[in-house]
Amino acid sequence: MEDKVEESCSQRAWRKVAYGGMQPGYDDNYTDESFLEGMVMNANVVKRDMLKVMQDSVSISQYLCIVVLVVCVWAYTLGSTIGEANLLLLDVALLGSGFLVLLLTAKRLSLYLLYHYILNISYFICGLYILAPIYNTLTRSISSDSIWALTVSLLILHLFLHDYSGSTIKPPGALNNPTLTSNISLNASIVASVLIASRLPSRLHVFAIVLFSLQVFLFAPLVTYCIKKYSFRLHLCFSFALMIVTLAMVFMLNQMLFAFLLGLLFFVMVVCPYWLIKIQGYKFEINGPWDEAKLCFDIKE
Amino acid sequence: MDERRRHRILMVSDFFYPNFGGVENHIYYLSQCLLKLGHKVVVMTHAYGNRSGVRYMTGGLKVYYIPWKPFLMQNTLPTIYGTLPIIRTILVRERISLVHGHQAFSTLCHEALMHARTMGYKVVFTDHSLYGFADVGSIHMNKVLQFTLADVNQAICVSHTSKENTVLRSGLPPEKVFVIPNAVDTAVFKPASERLSCHEIIIVVISRLVYRKGADLLVEVIPEVCRLYPNVRFIVGGDGPKRVRLEEMREKHSLQDRVEMLGAVQHAQVRSVLITGHIFLNSSLTEAFCIAILEAASCGLLTVSTRVGGVPEVLPDDMIVLAEPVPSDMVQAIMKAIQILPSIDPQMMHLRMKSLYSWHDVARRTEIVYDRALSCSNENLLQRLPRYLACGAWAGKLFCVVMIINFLLWHLLQVWKPSEDIEEVPDYVLPCHEEDISPD
Repeated sequence: MEDKVEESCSQRAWRKVAYGGMQPGYDDNYTDESFLEGMVMNANVVKRDMLKVMQDSVSISQYLCIVVLVVCVWAYTLGSTIGEANLLLLDVALLGSGFLVLLLTAKRLSLYLLYHYILNISYFICGLYILAPIYNTLTRSISSDSIWALTVSLLILHLFLHDYSGSTIKPPGALNNPTLTSNISLNASIVASVLIASRLPSRLHVFAIVLFSLQVFLFAPLVTYCIKKYSFRLHLCFSFALMIVTLAMVFMLNQMLFAFLLGLLFFVMVVCPYWLIKIQGYKFEINGPWDEAKLCFDIKE
Repeated sequence: MDERRRHRILMVSDFFYPNFGGVENHIYYLSQCLLKLGHKVVVMTHAYGNRSGVRYMTGGLKVYYIPWKPFLMQNTLPTIYGTLPIIRTILVRERISLVHGHQAFSTLCHEALMHARTMGYKVVFTDHSLYGFADVGSIHMNKVLQFTLADVNQAICVSHTSKENTVLRSGLPPEKVFVIPNAVDTAVFKPASERLSCHEIIIVVISRLVYRKGADLLVEVIPEVCRLYPNVRFIVGGDGPKRVRLEEMREKHSLQDRVEMLGAVQHAQVRSVLITGHIFLNSSLTEAFCIAILEAASCGLLTVSTRVGGVPEVLPDDMIVLAEPVPSDMVQAIMKAIQILPSIDPQMMHLRMKSLYSWHDVARRTEIVYDRALSCSNENLLQRLPRYLACGAWAGKLFCVVMIINFLLWHLLQVWKPSEDIEEVPDYVLPCHEEDISPD
């Protein structure tokens, strides 16, 4: 009787401490019930909704259609279907409509900023016109196959690295600075435009096509970003209209490419969101007292 | 010492003398105490500069500096099978019975454990650090650790938090992991013979000035404390990339006479720096087990530390003041420490530390782990392969292939250079002095 009482008294509770040597009555490999009680699983994981992900994927398919439209214009120009006068008209129309959209949708657009934009664009256009003869003869010694292959790979690189959520050219009021990958993608698209332009016969052709391509690649993300900020429904309507126009143009160009583009748009807008949500179930994020502490203040260098 | 219980241990790590650090000190002190207990200990590490070959240290500790140069952050180049011949030679020459690897970040340790398992030796692994799970480096490191620990006999961690971290990273069953903390050499870290006066309070910081050790927290905390308490001085020892920020902070707040920057402090001078202070400040962002805190407590300093990793387990609550890694909370903790400072007696603290931590105790507990490991059954390759297969869908098969090739290479070596031709080293035991084996 007394022995049993003594035994229960001498068995002290196990404590989660490292000092004092071996705890009496417990081995060093004793695993307490409180083992791993500080572990937190999947604390920062966002639960995604299928409809929201599909709506977000519309931005990607919209930009894909814009790039396809540019490629269509290139194809028509290289095949001499569009003349240089038509191209110049297209450029002016795009510039005008772009400015109109900016004026209507951007919130913090002052007159001074507008004047600044117009001045920069005039410098840009003059610069392009002066450099057009150089682009004309740039790749004369290179075979066409290399040019097509290079252009396609540069465009694929551009699409992979593009920043679909923001805009490389900072719109007024944007917070994020452009990242390295978005700069690389922009440069890839500019090089692709210059390569295509170098295949054209005359200076004016070259000037018109480079102006068109650069307008789209530099300013289309900015315009679509402003539309998205202004009204999400307008953004959805604009995207779907753009997709229909693109599909129509590609249909007129080539049936096989039309089927491919349709498949790609379906993949991006339906299959990918479903896949993403399915594999999120495997996410296993572990946090606990062993994590490195995060500083709550910014380090001012 | 009866011959049955005498173990013959090979300690393997990339980190050893002439480098100084937590892992290096751990291996050295543990080896010395195991030698005193009568076991045979041999250490294997890579060459340091010109220091290559066999060296003998205090107590007859034999160190093999194998002729492999370090290539990245003190680690040898991982060639997977390159170290097999020399490890086999050492294991046969010294008639080793058990291999003890240290530190998950050491490539030599992983390779040695792999070769030792292939050759049928028993293997123990000690993990000294905490790692994350989310970034690319950690994911690869954890996979390598999973491979090594798939077939280890026992594992040791230096704190309970470290045990949780290791179990999660490697998938080991918790019963296989022993918690044996580090200790401190209380004979070296003695407090000052005269107690310091309390009219000026000196706070000591000794650490590498890197992001991981919370140097940025120091930059925020020091000016605030100096503003609140005009009689507080800081002594900052250590060097690193963040030293520039601390110097800038000193200039910006004109604290040149109140903050003294010592630069890099040699390990032999750490005690003399510590005994000039009243309070020791540790601001690390992550620690598996902080030996610096033990050294400070052994010298009679009151410790203020961030509550991260294994730090809450290290000292009893009356010897340490904990704070969240947030500057305001740390300032509060320093205020509390200054208030309770008059009731601290350095000599009492030192005596308490002698009873709380001892390397001889660590060695005895490690000996129990070795006994356990040696009592595990011998297994051949076919019995071991299923454990590697369980590591993952693709990784498991890759690991199995690696082990099979290792096995074949070992047999090739046995045919080319038979073990009978390898000369075995005769044991020689230093005469043990009776006064050395004191119950600490």
